[in-house]
Amino acid sequence: MPEVIIGEQGFKTEKRPEREENKSNLGNEEQKIIMQVENLSKTYMQGKIPVHALRCACITVRKGELLAIMGPSGSGKSTLLALIGTLEKATDGKIILDGIDLTSVPEKLLPRVRREKIGFIFQHYNLVPTLSALENVELAMRFSRVPKKERKERAKALLEDLGLGDRLNHKPTELSGGEQQRVSIARALANKPALILADEPTGEVDSKTRDSIVRVFKELSQKGQTILVVTHDPEVAKECSRVLRITDGMIKDY
Amino acid sequence: MFDLIIRNITNRKIRSALTICGIALGIFAVIVMGAMSENFHQTFERSMSVTSDKIRVFAESGVFGGGLTDDKVNDVLRVAGVKDAYGLLMTTFDEDKLGMTGKQILGVPPEKSSVALYPVELKAGRFLNPGDSYSVVVGNNIKREYGLEIGSKFEIHDKYFTVVGILDYTGSIFDNAVIIPLETAQNLYSVGNSVSYIFAVPDERVDAEMLSKRIELSVKGTSTLSPGELEVQARQSFMIFSVITISSGLLAAIIGGLCVMNTMLMSVAERTREFGILKAIGAETRDILLLTLGEASLMGLLGGILGIIVGVGAVQIMNAWLATTRIVLFLITPRLLIIAMLFALLIGALSGLYPAYRASKMSPMEALKHA
Repeated sequence: MPEVIIGEQGFKTEKRPEREENKSNLGNEEQKIIMQVENLSKTYMQGKIPVHALRCACITVRKGELLAIMGPSGSGKSTLLALIGTLEKATDGKIILDGIDLTSVPEKLLPRVRREKIGFIFQHYNLVPTLSALENVELAMRFSRVPKKERKERAKALLEDLGLGDRLNHKPTELSGGEQQRVSIARALANKPALILADEPTGEVDSKTRDSIVRVFKELSQKGQTILVVTHDPEVAKECSRVLRITDGMIKDY
Repeated sequence: MFDLIIRNITNRKIRSALTICGIALGIFAVIVMGAMSENFHQTFERSMSVTSDKIRVFAESGVFGGGLTDDKVNDVLRVAGVKDAYGLLMTTFDEDKLGMTGKQILGVPPEKSSVALYPVELKAGRFLNPGDSYSVVVGNNIKREYGLEIGSKFEIHDKYFTVVGILDYTGSIFDNAVIIPLETAQNLYSVGNSVSYIFAVPDERVDAEMLSKRIELSVKGTSTLSPGELEVQARQSFMIFSVITISSGLLAAIIGGLCVMNTMLMSVAERTREFGILKAIGAETRDILLLTLGEASLMGLLGGILGIIVGVGAVQIMNAWLATTRIVLFLITPRLLIIAMLFALLIGALSGLYPAYRASKMSPMEALKHA
């Protein structure tokens, strides 16, 4: 059994023995395991009928990986993302992210996990329509109580890095789909998360914009940012460092 | 967070404005009805303070039952512990208006007029003197309404009286009193030697409550009202009046509160997805609560300020208009303003409580699926 300890931030963490595959890469930060999903299952009740959305999923993700998850509609991709993102509770199994067992984090600490460890990118961008691009990016840092000056500077720098330096004060309705998605990426990066979860991030954009978004993901990955992308698009999957396929709630690692 | 709250309010300008107007209307009602109650309260307190040392002796059948005559004054005077006693006749000044203006004729023995009215002081002239018959002392409001001066002629019940004294402003019932000699009043209204009630002044160091009981037992056919009993009765009447006035104001304010709740519920329903996003990016339950409750409270605050401004303005206008008829009906006090403001905030916050609870309890996943 792994030794259970309480981390500095109050989360329960597990000190686990390094796997064989990691021993050879000790000292190589890029090869560090950032997330381990063990026997993760999710069963919904549809009336009295149990629906197994995810069955015993096991995934190991290393730092800086750009991992694609593919599969047909209803296969369990989004469920997996929701479970890793702590938006839903698993029926069984474990998710160890950056040393924290997400499945045993108390409900009231989950917002903190989402703030500090996870960044979300949604298919429909999910920007707050009444806020400007800059304010949308700042929003994530507001909840982390980042001082106003610092969060403004950081949000501006992120947007500028993503080529939106001249769109800072534009509302989402004044931005194109690709621009909105880049604002969404900047927001996901704002709190320097251990993992970015992207749910169909190119689902609503044209191929040119798709390519630019994938390019951003690759650049981020090269800088050490771990990204997990759920996608239907083989062109996106092709650019990822690894592809997982889900069928009927079961994962196959390629 | 405050800037987000303001932004949420200003983004829905018309709806927010209507909600704020709803609250303002409620607070306006609280101010107007409260000002009426405050005026009544002040009059009551001052009236109590100028008559609190006397025991009232009535006929057993009550003030309007008759049967109490001058003769009883001597019986009361004979009771041990009574320092002084005198009868008073009280009737409405303007019978055609059924006394709605609050003006009263007070028939007092001339030699007792200064003690009967104590501690009310004269602004000008003198109290009634023995031997006066068609002389009158008037309260401050009567003086202002009829433009009376010392020596003016004043018509009462088809007879002309000479104004010999004008009372200082008291804020009590005496501001609307017309004080004439008791005998003249009895003749004027053809009531023989009847009096409405007898004032019994207790000796110093005599317990007024005990003396009151003693008078009732010693003087047949009378009932008494001690200063303590009078205060209790008056307070009860005041409470009933206050409850009626304040509750009608509160009712309006509660309707305003429902307005806020409706707006907030609509807003929360419309922003379900937004709350899902906020939760997904790490908003705590308290952040969501703060956003929604803050929005409702701010609308309550703005509604309160608007309601108070309009309410105070309306009260000033009504008081100015009523001043032409020498009636003071409303009184704005700091206490009323504070209560109205706190009430507006409370209404706003309470109305936002349920929508805020709903917003904070949303599952982020469900909220994100919301169209």
